[in-house]
Amino acid sequence: MNPKLMIWISVLLSAVAQIFLKRGLTNLQAQGERSPGLLGLILGVIRQQFIWYWGVCFVLAMALWLAGLQKLDLSYAYPLVSVGYVLVTFLSAVLFHERVDRQRWLAVAVICLGVILVAGS
Amino acid sequence: MLLTAPPERQEPVADIALRFVGRWWIAFAASAVFVVAGHLVIKAGLNSLPPLVHGSGLAARLLHAILQPQVLGGLLIYGMGTVCWMRTVSQKEISFVYPLSSVNYVLVVAASTVFFQEVVSANRAAGVLLIVLGMILMTRQSGETRQ
Repeated sequence: MNPKLMIWISVLLSAVAQIFLKRGLTNLQAQGERSPGLLGLILGVIRQQFIWYWGVCFVLAMALWLAGLQKLDLSYAYPLVSVGYVLVTFLSAVLFHERVDRQRWLAVAVICLGVILVAGS
Repeated sequence: MLLTAPPERQEPVADIALRFVGRWWIAFAASAVFVVAGHLVIKAGLNSLPPLVHGSGLAARLLHAILQPQVLGGLLIYGMGTVCWMRTVSQKEISFVYPLSSVNYVLVVAASTVFFQEVVSANRAAGVLLIVLGMILMTRQSGETRQ
């Protein structure tokens, strides 16, 4: 696989992973008892499917990052991580119907422009 | 007349240490240092990997990378940075510390030129500055002062 493609997939996967984690932790809080104890907490985490999705995405993202970065400059790959904020904003708006104001869309546009400049460098 | 002097209010050392750790900017600075250092150490490890036999698959390459001590150490340092970041976020509003964390991008790119002799073109530098600007815009509320 092309190292640049690996970095892109890695960056997108870690953004998706964050959403899964947020979802999983929210579910955990919602259904949790007041003081579940350590065992209860561990069981709750294991039963939460979104936390598993997070784990899978996280490991895959890390693996692709390491594989891709072997061939690329760190000063090229690292700024691309910021595309995650763009994806999270889109997903929050589309999936969770969060209101995204005009300034936030402007911020997303500015970050995209920055990412395009770095990706083309 | 007071027979017993009131006990001196002396804070236990542990309390003082805790208060110190509780300061958000220490957690923030530690997270920035660990996150940036982690990425640099990982890259240093990847750079020092011996060239692979031609045609080795992705799995072989990964195993090769993970077993490199520097890569493993870098991942651990990065993990410590993540823990410090969570601590920062729990102590200070995310809308305040989040734009500050964009300094990581500048530090990683600057350090890459110093340690790995990477060449940063004008376009790449401008791109990083736009990303920082975008992150500042993302959390600053318009027309309203936030605490």
